[in-house]
Amino acid sequence: MLKNILTNEAIKALYKKRTYISFVLLTFLVPLIILAIGDGAEYMESRIYGQLKDSFIVIGSITNGYLSSYLIIAILISQMPFLSTIVASEIVSGEYSKGTFRMYLSRSVSRNKILFSKFVIVQIYTILMMLFFVFYTLIIGCLMLGVGDLAVFHKGLLFLPQEDILWRFFIAFIVSTLVMIATSSLCFMLSTIYKNSVTPIIITISAVFIGSAISFIPIPLFEAINPFLFTGYIDLFLAAFFDPVPWEVIIEATFVCLIWSGIFTISAFYLFNKKEILS
Amino acid sequence: MLEFKNISKQFDKNKALDNISFNIPENAIFGLLGPNGSGKSTLMRILANLITEWDGEIKFKNKKLNSDKSYLNHFGFIIESPCFYEYLSARKNLEILCRLTGTDFRIINELLDLVNLLHRSEDKVSHFSYGMKQRLGIAQALLHDPQVLILDEPNNGLDPFGINQIADILFHLKDKGKTICISTHSLNEVDRLCSDVAIIKNGKLLKSSPMETLHNEKRFYRLETSHLNDAVKFIKEQKSIDIIYKQKNSIIVSQNIKKNDIKFDIVKDKTNSVKSIQRESPLIQFFYA
Repeated sequence: MLKNILTNEAIKALYKKRTYISFVLLTFLVPLIILAIGDGAEYMESRIYGQLKDSFIVIGSITNGYLSSYLIIAILISQMPFLSTIVASEIVSGEYSKGTFRMYLSRSVSRNKILFSKFVIVQIYTILMMLFFVFYTLIIGCLMLGVGDLAVFHKGLLFLPQEDILWRFFIAFIVSTLVMIATSSLCFMLSTIYKNSVTPIIITISAVFIGSAISFIPIPLFEAINPFLFTGYIDLFLAAFFDPVPWEVIIEATFVCLIWSGIFTISAFYLFNKKEILS
Repeated sequence: MLEFKNISKQFDKNKALDNISFNIPENAIFGLLGPNGSGKSTLMRILANLITEWDGEIKFKNKKLNSDKSYLNHFGFIIESPCFYEYLSARKNLEILCRLTGTDFRIINELLDLVNLLHRSEDKVSHFSYGMKQRLGIAQALLHDPQVLILDEPNNGLDPFGINQIADILFHLKDKGKTICISTHSLNEVDRLCSDVAIIKNGKLLKSSPMETLHNEKRFYRLETSHLNDAVKFIKEQKSIDIIYKQKNSIIVSQNIKKNDIKFDIVKDKTNSVKSIQRESPLIQFFYA
């Protein structure tokens, strides 16, 4: 039975145009940014080296597919929470507002199974979107600008050898996906409350903005609570490119994101089971 | 077959249903009649498990309904207007609902044929008219071959042709042994379709009875008049007639069925004020109660 309900939810998601918005957007945006990075490589490198040029002779270019991917992820990661809400915001509230739940829930299927199927679809979408974001960027970047060592800023300018990079992108993918799963879980929970899909998006994005602001404002109270908020880890993917990788921080972030995801999901199930379908 | 006992439901301070009890007999076309906001849809939503917290007891075939939703296998619902996944075809919509109950897809063609939509089965529902959606709604309610059909205002928004189509389908289903409960605010619809009726107003049950019993109790008439006072005065003099309701230009009256039909021609002649006299449904008494 669960397989049938999952199939239903997959069909509903696959036939909706909004499911493809993120993928279409990234498909066009990423090559454009890579083109811009390739075009402005000389200027960018002069900014990166800065005064180092006075002391060192630099041979060759540090601009390659890895650097462009690293920069694109850094630029776009703060926009990904918005994309991660596209499906989550509508998957339950859309059925309230269009009245289809009157037909769907008046059959002998438990609400838990229906909501679980929707939750699975939301998280599959989130994971696929992040997978596409990170690895599409990497593939297109390498195809357009080639490969080489990766230059990043961590306690100065750090060069990571070419053979030491791919696994770091994989860790970056895992870390950033965990944060997006927590974000989409929040939006999913809000979707079980509201009858329109805009309110869950607004509240989720507001929460992410406020959470991000807390992580940037250096006052003792915010510094004390920031480690316990999933929003404080949105740019944690950068840690995958530190040397050595701060595993204890990544593990801590994993726990925080999973705990928040769990709280949002359990709340969604509670709220959905209590919900009276009146429209 | 289906017993509602002391059903109550409160939304904040508003009592939507107040201690309602009635029975729906097997193979009946049962009318749940009441004005808008009387609580009909609330009652249907309770049965459909869309409303989860309520007071009272519902029994189906002498078995109390509880949190185990398996009883819903015996029921098919259209609650309010029929709503579908508009971006999917009629067939895809029905396939989705078949998967929910583990129903074989082969029934889809049979039902689309019954509601005369087989030729449009691959069209997106967004291209359907309201009447077509209503018929598709009946098809979806029948997918898992339920014994009881619960239809909330099935003729709402339909033209006379659409209303006739729905009536034909309902009579066909009754002949096949289904029990049907329709909610409506139309007296004509209940008069035409239903064998039994329950009348609800402001969340309270006014009457539950076979239609035949109601027809055998009293006759009801509407008198259109240009001189209301003269007409009222004359009618009050007639001992077998009761005035049910007065409007600006019309009076609704009742007459005991055991008495002879009122000679309204006399009314016309005597008062010279009655323009027309129409027989009304016995259900009208509850609307003006």
